[in-house]
This record gives sequence, structure tokens and C-alpha cells, in this order.
Amino acid sequence: MSSLVFYLLTVAIFFCIYCIYGWGLNLQFGLTGILDFTYITFVAIGAYFAGVAALQPGNGGLGEQYILGLHLPFPIPPIIGGIVAAVLAILIGYVGLKRLRSDYLAIVTVSVGQIVWTLIGNITPLFNGWDGISGVPQPFNSVFQLDFNHYQWVFLVICILFAVLGFLIIERLTHSPFGRVLRAIREDENVAAALGKNVFRYKMMAFVIGSIYAGVGGALTIAYIGAYNPSGFTTMETFIIWAAMLVGGSGNNRGMILGAFLVPVLFNEGTRFLPSPPGNPLLAESIRGMAIGLLLIFAARFRPQGILPERKTVFRLDGLQQGGEAGGDRLVPQ
Amino acid sequence: MAIVSFPSSILKVTNLAKSFGGVKAINDVSFIVREGTVTGLIGPNGAGKSSVVNAISGFTRVDRGVVELAGHDITNQAPHRIAARGLIRSFQIARELQKLTVLENMMVAPFQQLGESPWRALISRRAVMREEREHLAEAVDWLQMFNLFALRDEYAGNLSGGQKKLLELARALMAKPKVVLLDEPMAGVNPTLTKTLQGYISRLRDQGVTFLLIEHNLSVVEAICDHVVVLAEGAVLAEGQMNELRETEEVISAYLGG
Repeated sequence: MSSLVFYLLTVAIFFCIYCIYGWGLNLQFGLTGILDFTYITFVAIGAYFAGVAALQPGNGGLGEQYILGLHLPFPIPPIIGGIVAAVLAILIGYVGLKRLRSDYLAIVTVSVGQIVWTLIGNITPLFNGWDGISGVPQPFNSVFQLDFNHYQWVFLVICILFAVLGFLIIERLTHSPFGRVLRAIREDENVAAALGKNVFRYKMMAFVIGSIYAGVGGALTIAYIGAYNPSGFTTMETFIIWAAMLVGGSGNNRGMILGAFLVPVLFNEGTRFLPSPPGNPLLAESIRGMAIGLLLIFAARFRPQGILPERKTVFRLDGLQQGGEAGGDRLVPQ
Repeated sequence: MAIVSFPSSILKVTNLAKSFGGVKAINDVSFIVREGTVTGLIGPNGAGKSSVVNAISGFTRVDRGVVELAGHDITNQAPHRIAARGLIRSFQIARELQKLTVLENMMVAPFQQLGESPWRALISRRAVMREEREHLAEAVDWLQMFNLFALRDEYAGNLSGGQKKLLELARALMAKPKVVLLDEPMAGVNPTLTKTLQGYISRLRDQGVTFLLIEHNLSVVEAICDHVVVLAEGAVLAEGQMNELRETEEVISAYLGG
């Protein structure tokens, strides 16, 4: 197989995974207005727990240390990844969502991200510290016995299935009365409360569901790469998902697909082909960050709602019994 | 004299008190709102009107006193619980949900919608849609009555100031409240719309809706309030009908600036 096909398959797989990340963040911020600046932490927690759920018991051949090592078959590891991310979200939500509003919560999320990052790096018995875990088995490949090149196709199909399911669920939630309450909270928490909505509870649900998306996306990532370490979840990674959402269109799940294509795929991957001059190996990476930053600035200036902004909900009224007349005698509807 | 049967009280405020630091915003306030009436709450700036509104609706905690709604103690409960019990408030400055359409603003209001649970939204689509149709029919009725129907698919943030006030009233009614608490609904509204709003409130009252109205415009109060409570310096100064109160010495000096 040509290396180009191999590369394109890799990009397609990451595109699917970034869509999944994006929809979760979109539910949290685009719909509910929760400023989660540590979204990648939930991705990482999902990845690590899915990894150790799929791995053999620790201290294997490579001398890596990690907890659990349950050797569970796919798709149980992604489910575990989603659940653990949800549990972390509940814990952070209780601290952050109860009393704090947007910007203060954002500070809490940044600190939590740093704490988790430092802990995972320094406590080696958890997930093998800064070196991270590796050798996570590929889903179903004990059955197919394919080489890595051909296995890519299998994994792409798995990712597409997850992405399609993820899209159907998030779309249904977005356009349901649940999504409407979340948007009401985003617009004005006090009004939502004055209309009888338990704001904390709804924010928590949005935060948790979004984190499940992060955790499952992380689980797919580690199943694909087979390894994960703290360099995989720096603040920059959160920033890329945020950029994808803001450029594509926050509040619009289709815009999120476009954003996932533009930012992580086109800008992040595209800049990989820039020639890196000898003696300056980090130049390409720096240019990548700058390119995404510029894209964000242009989007904010010329298209602040994103390329595909949130769509207006228009109800179809045909078939409704329209009894009342304007200015009729009876004001209270029957 | 004919025997008048007084309707029972639906909202009862007893010995309410609230201080912010050393400042006593509410000293000792007691009054009742009878079912199916419009009760006015007036008073000069700083009399504690807004504090009373926030205390009743759960937006500030009180230090002392009891608030009862239809016999249930709602003192210091969370705003969403009080709203769910049937007390819906408006805000002094219209607070429409800007990036929701007029219809969506209405559709948020009903309590305990099936589809507000993410789980039910996912698996009980049919039942959720059925409920949505019911609410939609109601919302359309209200919007037609308040002449907002043509604007149904407009973002609420694009409405004029007066239309926002109408929407806020319509949205409150959509929640089927036991008591509607209107915080200065006529503030910043032109005289024509003031008359219109006044007409709506009177007619809704005639159909059994109960209002507690905080208002500065005394001619409005005189025209539509069945009973008026005058606050001054965080306490009830006097109460009765507006035309009587106009004659009262203390009220004149404290408020009417006579």
C-alpha cells in the first residue's frame, strides 16, 4: 500500500475522532456556555483508562507500570473510558458548576487540567508516568490478524461507526427540549431558573455528556496509536479543539464537522509538509500553532459565529389547532 | 352592604427581613396577595421593593420571615423550586433569551417537559414530539393574543423594548403560574403600550390570574390594582386602595412628595 493512502487513512481516522471531541465540547460551550478549558484532560482520562482496560496486567515485557490491566475486548474499553471521564466530570462539576460562573469556572478547569497532568506524569505506578503506556492492542485485530497497513481500514470503519452514532445522539439532544433548556441557560441563567429549570443540574448533565464524548474519543485515540503519554494532552490540544469549534461554528454540530476538517486536519496536518530547515526542527510546529492562531483571529473578525453558525429553530405549525384570535375575549388559552 | 366573599390568599409574606452588611433593605414586611387579584407594591426608590421581589422569588436569601405560596413554605428555596411551585417573576429590565426565537422563548417555559430529560429526548422521541405539539399550540395562542405571532421565528434579541416586555409577560403565562410577579413592567414603555399592557393585565385578572405588581406609575396602579401595599424604608407604611392611599398623610409625605 502506498504511503499516501496510509497517510490519508490516518488523517481520516483523526478527522472522525476530532468530530467526536468537537461535538462534546460543542454541547458544553456551544450550547450551554460552559467554559471548559481542560477538555483534553477528559480525553486523556478516557484514553488512559481505556488503555489499561485493554492491556494485559501491568509490568509487561517493556517493564511499564500501570494500574488495572484488565485485558478486556473491544468495545468495552471505550465504554470504560467514557464512564471514567463522566465520573471525573461529576467531581469537577460539583466543585466548579455549583457556584462559579463562566470565567471563574474557566480558571478552575485550567487548574484541574494542570493538576491531573502533573499527577499522571509524576505518579509512575498509575500510567507509567512521563513515558506513558504503550502496546495497547488494536481492536479486533486478534481476530483479523492484519498487518498495520491493512488494519487501518478496519479501524477507519470502527471510527466512522462511532462518529455516526455520536452525531445522531448529539443532534437529537441539541434539537430536543433538553437542548433548548441548555441554550436558555447559556443566554441567561437567572431567567432559566425563574422558569423553574434547575440550572446546576442541567449544566452538570451537559458537562458530563460532553466529557463522555471526550472520554470515548480518547479511547479511540489510544486504541489507534497504541500508546499515550502526558505530551498528548497539553493545553495546546484543548486549544485545537476549541479553535475547530469556533471556526466551524459553535452551537452547530455540522459546523463542528467542518471545523474538525479545517483546523486539526487541514491546518494541523497540512503544515506537516512544510520543509523544516536543518537545525530548526521545531519551526514547522511553531508555524502550525501560528497558522491556527491566525485562522482563529480571522474567524473572530469576519465570521464571529463561525462558518456555519447555530441554526435558527423554526417550528412547523401546520396541523395545529389555532383557536385564539388576536384580541379575543378570552385571554387564557383553553 | 352586600356580603363580599374575599378570595383566599395565595401568597403570604410574614415579617420578612433582610440586611446587606449594615444596611437593612427589608426591615419587617408582611402582606398577602389574594387569589385572582392584582396587588400593587409601591414605594419610593430604596424602599425595598426590589429586595422584596428577589426575596420572594428566591434570588436573595432572607434573614428572617416566612413566604408562603398556596400554603407551602417557600422561604429561601432555590429560584427554580419556587418557580416550579407556581410563582413566576419577570425582571425589571426585560430579559429575553436573545438567541432563542420568540416561539422558543415560549416553549422553554412549561415545567417538567418530558424531553428535558436527555434520556427521554433520545429514546421517547414520539412522546416528546406529541408534548411539543401541545405546547406549541398553547404558545401560538398566547402569541396571537399578545400580537407577537408574526414575530414568532424572530430571535427575541431583535424585538423592540415593548415587544420584549410583552414576550416576557406571555412567557410567564405560558408556565401556568399561580402568581405572576411583575417587576416594573411599565418601565421604559411608551404610553400607548402602557395602556395595552394595563388592559392585558386587567383582563387576565378577570380570568383568574393573580398578579403582584411592582410599579412606579401611580395612575397605572390606580387603574388596575385591587389592593396596594406601600413600602417605605423597608417596611409597610400603609395599605389599601389607591384612591384611599392618596389621601393618607404618611403616604403623601413619604412617596407622593405632597
